[in-house]
Amino acid sequence: MSFRKLTFALANTAAVLAALYVAFARDLERPYWAMFTVFIVANPIVGAVRSKAVYRVLGTLAGASVALFLVPPLVNAPVLLCLATSLWVGVCLYLSLLDRTPRSYMFLLAGYTATIVGLAVVDSPEKIFDTTISRVEEISLGLICAAIAHSIIFPQSVTGELDRRIRATVITARQWLSGALMRPERPSDLQAQQQLAAVVTDLHMLYTHVAFEISDVPRSAQVMRLLQDRLALLLPRVSGIQKAVAALTVSGQVPEPLVRALEATSQWFRTDETTAPNCTCQCPKAARACQCHRVVPVELAATSADSLRTIPLDWRELLEQSALSNLRELIAAFADTQELARALANDQAKLPARFEQEAAALGRRPFYRDRGLALLSAFGAAGATLLACLLWIEGSWPEGAVAAQFAAIGCSLAATLDDPSKFIRSAIIGISLALPFAALYEFALLPRVDGFASLALVLSPALLLFSLMQASKRLGGAGLILAVAFSGGLALQSTYKADFAAFVNSNSAEIAGLLIAVVMSLVFRTIDPAWNAVRIARSGFKAVSRLATARKVDLRAWTIEMFDRLGLVTSRIGAIGKPISARENIDGLRDLRVGLNIGTIREVGGELGLASRSALQTVLKTVCSLYRSGPGNGRARAGIEAAIDQGITSLSAEAPSRPMLDGLAALTGLRLDLVPTGSQYAISHPL
Amino acid sequence: MIGELDIDGVFVPSLLVAAMIAFCLTSLVRWSLRRLHFYRFVWHAGLFDVALFVVTLWVTAMATATWNTPGVN
Repeated sequence: MSFRKLTFALANTAAVLAALYVAFARDLERPYWAMFTVFIVANPIVGAVRSKAVYRVLGTLAGASVALFLVPPLVNAPVLLCLATSLWVGVCLYLSLLDRTPRSYMFLLAGYTATIVGLAVVDSPEKIFDTTISRVEEISLGLICAAIAHSIIFPQSVTGELDRRIRATVITARQWLSGALMRPERPSDLQAQQQLAAVVTDLHMLYTHVAFEISDVPRSAQVMRLLQDRLALLLPRVSGIQKAVAALTVSGQVPEPLVRALEATSQWFRTDETTAPNCTCQCPKAARACQCHRVVPVELAATSADSLRTIPLDWRELLEQSALSNLRELIAAFADTQELARALANDQAKLPARFEQEAAALGRRPFYRDRGLALLSAFGAAGATLLACLLWIEGSWPEGAVAAQFAAIGCSLAATLDDPSKFIRSAIIGISLALPFAALYEFALLPRVDGFASLALVLSPALLLFSLMQASKRLGGAGLILAVAFSGGLALQSTYKADFAAFVNSNSAEIAGLLIAVVMSLVFRTIDPAWNAVRIARSGFKAVSRLATARKVDLRAWTIEMFDRLGLVTSRIGAIGKPISARENIDGLRDLRVGLNIGTIREVGGELGLASRSALQTVLKTVCSLYRSGPGNGRARAGIEAAIDQGITSLSAEAPSRPMLDGLAALTGLRLDLVPTGSQYAISHPL
Repeated sequence: MIGELDIDGVFVPSLLVAAMIAFCLTSLVRWSLRRLHFYRFVWHAGLFDVALFVVTLWVTAMATATWNTPGVN
């Protein structure tokens, strides 16, 4: 057991006891709400505790206010009230699923707080205002205690976690890249794709906590986003090189200069910057301005200087140029990654001017949103709540309100998962395990307790145990479920009133509600992961087609969104264990490469002659229509070959310049990805 | 006892209002201190933040003490 886990458990226990103490001292109605709130927001990272606290209090306020508005006018029309509440749960869940950052918790809570507050008081509607106030009070109390305890008692800021993640990512990427450069693509690369994509998305999620961190944590959200941009570029660039080299191998030997450049770069990836032998700059190590890690392999610098003089004439030369251009981009992206990672760890460091400009131009950052699935989950949650309500009304079931609440909670909390029913089933098991424990406390230990000191002593072992479980990654979820079920089962109130019948009734209603949630999840959300992967990939096709012809595009935002999609698709394919049928033509990396090449073509188009510009326009239009019907479509593919070849021919007629060469490299990349393998570009007319 | 504020018929503890004002003030102060790199000199930033809030709350409560509705306890 590490020191960190122990201090976390101590801080958490202290927060729970403090919350209970204040709740008892002020004679609040349900101190156990404050108690399990502490467990819900508990997290080893302070920023995460504080951000969740803020979102939870805002969500609770919204949900409780909605209950306050709905219940008084509708209390005499129970069916209408149930309909309205279920609808609210569904709408909130939908909004929450569209937002994949920690902020989604706010919407989630707004949804089911309305059921907790609203449905509990239908028998005595005059109490609605008091219940609303006490819910908000007790939740806030728990949140404040948790936030203060975790901020004061050995706080762990998010910086450490971020640092560790980024360093590990850079090291893994370095090793993988140095190997991948020297060999063709292979199926195991899928795993690397999945890891890197997950890291980029995770970094984004983690970074949202920074705004809530203790004040001494540097805020550099822009650096973080630039870092994500660069990380997302690594994979498509490497695979572009692999593609070009593979095509070269088919028609003969790989040219010597390219091999040398690849070897030098691979070597550069292998040598750690701190031990780089060829670092000749005299700057002291502490100076962040040191540029020595940007030493681009000498061979590559020589070849790229040459390349301006020679215009590629045949297909092999085009391939070579394309590989070199990808290699340049790869090296630049990786060097930036390292520089940005350093800047992130140290906020005193001044960013180079080129980053400053880029950071100023950053736009909104979208992640992949799945509206269809969100809608389905929302229907599931609303349906489960409504079903429980109907059972409650029709069956005159006194504890039916609890079942409706738990149906809403179960569906909402599990909605982000591919298989929600599994999660809810494990929650049921957790509750069933915690109940005997709670019963032991309730009926054997608590009768002997008088006063807060003895209560604290009696509770401490259980609280410490749950907190310790929460501190570990593997047991975290189980610890949370046990802690919440224990607190809810215990239902501590300021005077001891043990009632075995009530205990059994309300807890069996909880389980019944969760069972309804399981059923509804099975009905609405039984989703084949392979089918889901295909759906996500298809939405990627649409994004490519939009990128090709949309009037204004933000290529960086697009890349991040595609990269996020790539991670979602590969993780699902990986989980299935068998490849999806080739007919679907799913290759997220290919789409990403196509997008980057489209970006280059759009960029250089303005700087070229009229003939080339219209040829490039045709290419963009054909790519757009090809991707609209999915890149596997045979008929659409015939047109693309002609369009790209026309583009290459008219670009080759231009005077040699950087945009012209970049355009040629991009066209070659597109041709490699979109035209059936084996076909080669042939010069249609002599220059 | 803590006084209450009468906001259109709803009685709100004046300490709550003071705490909200103090929170906004503290956020402002924290933001400016961070811009000045002041936190380099702070040993335990979490503790410092909480202490800063308590001090601000005290000042706010003192400044707003006259708001309490007389007669309501």
